[in-house]
Amino acid sequence: MTELFAIEYRPWLAILCPTIASLLIILSGRRPNLRESWTMIGSVLLFLTVISMTPFVLKEGHIRCSLFNLLPGVDFALDVDAFGLIFATTSSCLWILVSLFSIGYMRSLEEHAQTRYYFCFALALLGAIGVALSANLVTMFVFYEILTISTYPLVAHEETPEAIYAGHKYLAYLLTGGLFFLFGILMTYLLVGTTDFSHHGILKPALGSTSKLVLQIVFFCFMVGFMKAAWMPVHSWLPTAMAAPTPVSALLHAVAVVKAGVFGIIKIVFYLYGIDLMRELGLGVALGCVAAFTVIVANLYAIGQDNLKRRLAYSTINQLSFILLGAALLSPMGTIGAMIHIPFHGFMKITLFLCAGAIAVIAGKKNVSELAGVGRIMPVTMMAFTVTAAGMCSIPPLAGFISKWYFCLGSIQSGAMVFLFVALAASVLDFVYFFPIVRNAFFERPAETRGGGTEIRRKETGRPIYLFMVIPLAITGIFSIILCLFPNMFHIFDLAQMAVRNLFGGV
Amino acid sequence: MISEQFPALIVVTPLILSFFIPILGWWRRSLCLPIVLIALSVCTVFAIGLLQTVMTQGKIHYWLGKWQPPWGIEYVVDHLNALVLFFVSFISLMIAIYSKKSIEQELPEHKIPQFYTLFLLNITGLLGITVTGDAFNLYVLVEIASFTAYGLVAIGEDGAFVASFRYIVMGTIGACFYLLGVGHLYIVTGSLNMADLSNILPNLYHSKVIIVAFAFLIIGIALKMALFPLHAWLPDAYTYAPSTVSAFMGPLMTKVGAYVLIRIMFTVFKPEFSIGMLQVTDIMVWLGVAAMLFGGIMALSQTDFKRMLCYIIVAEMGFIVGGIGIANATAIKGAIFHILSDAFMMACLFLVAGTIMYKTKGHSISDFKGIFRKMPFTAIIFTVGALAIIGVPPTCGFFSKWYLLLGGIEAKHWGFVIALLLCTLINVALFFRVIDKGLYLHVHALEHASEPAGHHPEPHYDEAPLSMLIPGFIIAIAIFLIGIFNQAIFKNIIEFAIPLRL
Repeated sequence: MTELFAIEYRPWLAILCPTIASLLIILSGRRPNLRESWTMIGSVLLFLTVISMTPFVLKEGHIRCSLFNLLPGVDFALDVDAFGLIFATTSSCLWILVSLFSIGYMRSLEEHAQTRYYFCFALALLGAIGVALSANLVTMFVFYEILTISTYPLVAHEETPEAIYAGHKYLAYLLTGGLFFLFGILMTYLLVGTTDFSHHGILKPALGSTSKLVLQIVFFCFMVGFMKAAWMPVHSWLPTAMAAPTPVSALLHAVAVVKAGVFGIIKIVFYLYGIDLMRELGLGVALGCVAAFTVIVANLYAIGQDNLKRRLAYSTINQLSFILLGAALLSPMGTIGAMIHIPFHGFMKITLFLCAGAIAVIAGKKNVSELAGVGRIMPVTMMAFTVTAAGMCSIPPLAGFISKWYFCLGSIQSGAMVFLFVALAASVLDFVYFFPIVRNAFFERPAETRGGGTEIRRKETGRPIYLFMVIPLAITGIFSIILCLFPNMFHIFDLAQMAVRNLFGGV
Repeated sequence: MISEQFPALIVVTPLILSFFIPILGWWRRSLCLPIVLIALSVCTVFAIGLLQTVMTQGKIHYWLGKWQPPWGIEYVVDHLNALVLFFVSFISLMIAIYSKKSIEQELPEHKIPQFYTLFLLNITGLLGITVTGDAFNLYVLVEIASFTAYGLVAIGEDGAFVASFRYIVMGTIGACFYLLGVGHLYIVTGSLNMADLSNILPNLYHSKVIIVAFAFLIIGIALKMALFPLHAWLPDAYTYAPSTVSAFMGPLMTKVGAYVLIRIMFTVFKPEFSIGMLQVTDIMVWLGVAAMLFGGIMALSQTDFKRMLCYIIVAEMGFIVGGIGIANATAIKGAIFHILSDAFMMACLFLVAGTIMYKTKGHSISDFKGIFRKMPFTAIIFTVGALAIIGVPPTCGFFSKWYLLLGGIEAKHWGFVIALLLCTLINVALFFRVIDKGLYLHVHALEHASEPAGHHPEPHYDEAPLSMLIPGFIIAIAIFLIGIFNQAIFKNIIEFAIPLRL
């Protein structure tokens, strides 16, 4: 029995946790408490499984295990390495908190089809973990598609015409992207006969048999394939997908789905093409330009959004491209910045989304213009919001500072001063669209009480179920401070350093 | 050893048992189905036995009545048709289990014995077409399968009669073309045995008669397998036929046609002739591309689920024919694998269509409203089938598309590659339209907001009987298993099934 928990089975265990949880959820659909406890048990077990692999990976480098042969030269295989663990840790840790929040959110609003909701959520986590741990492109494609399809009912959950439209747009974008991804995999497979990721890239030998242009086109196909990274101009599904319930936007559209896209692109850059080939083909610069463009333009868009969730969505687009920019520098420091920004941004953005959700449920407000005085009604929520918004602007001592610090070091290291300015300008713009929200929330009187002298009542403890929402967001808010002071929590920093050491042969 | 007789028994058993059905059915109607089940289970066992023998010992030659070919009729089982035999008998067995409830509801009671007689004869025909090694014997069995099919279609709902008549006209023309082709070959070579023909023919490849014969054969088969633009009979016939009939004819008839196409192109004629000399494959790729796009677009415009599936069949035939037309080893492997996987996928979806028909008395897309709540198990089966057609890994549909695309890229046939990817996207739109109907209830309530509130009670659980669900589940699981263990199938069977010298 203990052999089942041996280290080489742990990756499969990690895959099994959400799978079994999803099955149990659908079987216990009629008993909500049991159903939600399956979600909680599944998420905690998943987190523990993922965390338990970290010491081994730090010592031995990676855990590889394959299940069966899918195609000649391609196994259905998992390969846990440092970078994958960062993403897996982030997603699984946040799943616990978001599940708690979901319970509060869904029950407060008495939403319909909650079984479907929790079922799809668990499946989406399966997809995200699978993407993080997969050993080759085909395995990754399998999980990537699971992620796309399982999130579709979540996006369209409200079942209003807008939500259905958002769902359709989501599918149309991401599945078209999936075809490009598939085409990229096929070309890779034809060129080098394998799709296994490697620290040095695997496409280098292909340069002998094919032209540079082909490899550049294939890279473009992969970029379009990882449309989940929401780089411009293929970003527009993301703001539309904000029609989903807030916990979905929080976990999936701030962490699991979009980070799967970013994660995929970084995997392509370093583990498929490799640093030398990227430089030789000039793809680093190309990727950097796309990302820099997105960073700035997304921030400009964000300023003009009145809907709070849409504003956060554009902020997400900006931060995702910021991660891409870090990778595009092809320098060790920039890469560390990109890798640790995946969890750091995850913790911060999820807090912001959870705040938005709590405000929508408790105060009933969805637009930035209505937020006057919310800080007095919901002080804890708005404190968390303020702290993480400051983190987004990379103010120390918050998590965003560390990653931006490394990013700036990276851009100096690779001599790309333009990107340094882009990063600093982005921080300023971040400030422009977060600051008014905070100011309004704390320093204005609520609209209802402006005329008369109605007493301002704190609403966060109005119903016990609200605590399910307020506590998780407080936790993630605190985490985003802790992560700056102790960036090595869950060994995230060690893992990033190790990944970079493997890629660059030393920091 | 009885196992030596398997090639003959697999045809003879259902043939003889089918004659007992009307007699026993006249005495007691409840006996019809058990006979069919016995016949088809036995056939499945034979098919598995044959598959095993072929895998261990190679090609089987069986001389009917010990008459030596080329005078006697020879049955030949190699890797390719052993595979086809297996899925034909297995799927028809599943459909037979499924048919009980569906047929009881859709047909008047006195027609049940006739139905099962025709059903079993049709399967006999399909198995015979697959197993035979004689070009003329193949024609006879094609006619057995076709005539029973005309009858089976005609007992369907309103409109089936006209559809069946159209099918008769088109099908007969197809059969005539095939017969003319065989006649031409016989005039020139004096032989009807496929192996014998393929030995004699290479010396005559430059003869005009042979070229004409080849054209006749291919067009005849193309009509039977509903290759675009000769598909016009198919949508009507399979839409109006009883659910059970479309559930086995949809997946099986066209696939067996595709098998015959491969047989004629690469066994009777050699690849040097059909690919090298005539270059008919170039035309076939573009026909395949046209079929994919036409089938996909026509499917998009349907409001009837069964008719939508029919156009998907047209598109899927385009995949197979296109794959054969690419004519490199990878693509032909993909095409053969697609014959297998498409049979299972289509069976899965037509089963769902029948199950929905059983519960709602209709088969339009709007009848899928709320099935995820009302009939969750049917909905799961449907989702599996839909994902397989779209080609989501690890279902079998992904792997056939993988090989077809890989072959297309290898051959640098970008038209085919793009059409296949486009067709995948069309399939996404097609199936998510249906899934939406099944999944989202509130939006329908909004559509009818003018009606007084309270008229939209939550649909309550109302699942189909187990005899319909179990075959569906078995096929759905098979879709996954074929996908996951595709390498075993490729290494042990399909590697040997593709023509040599490619």
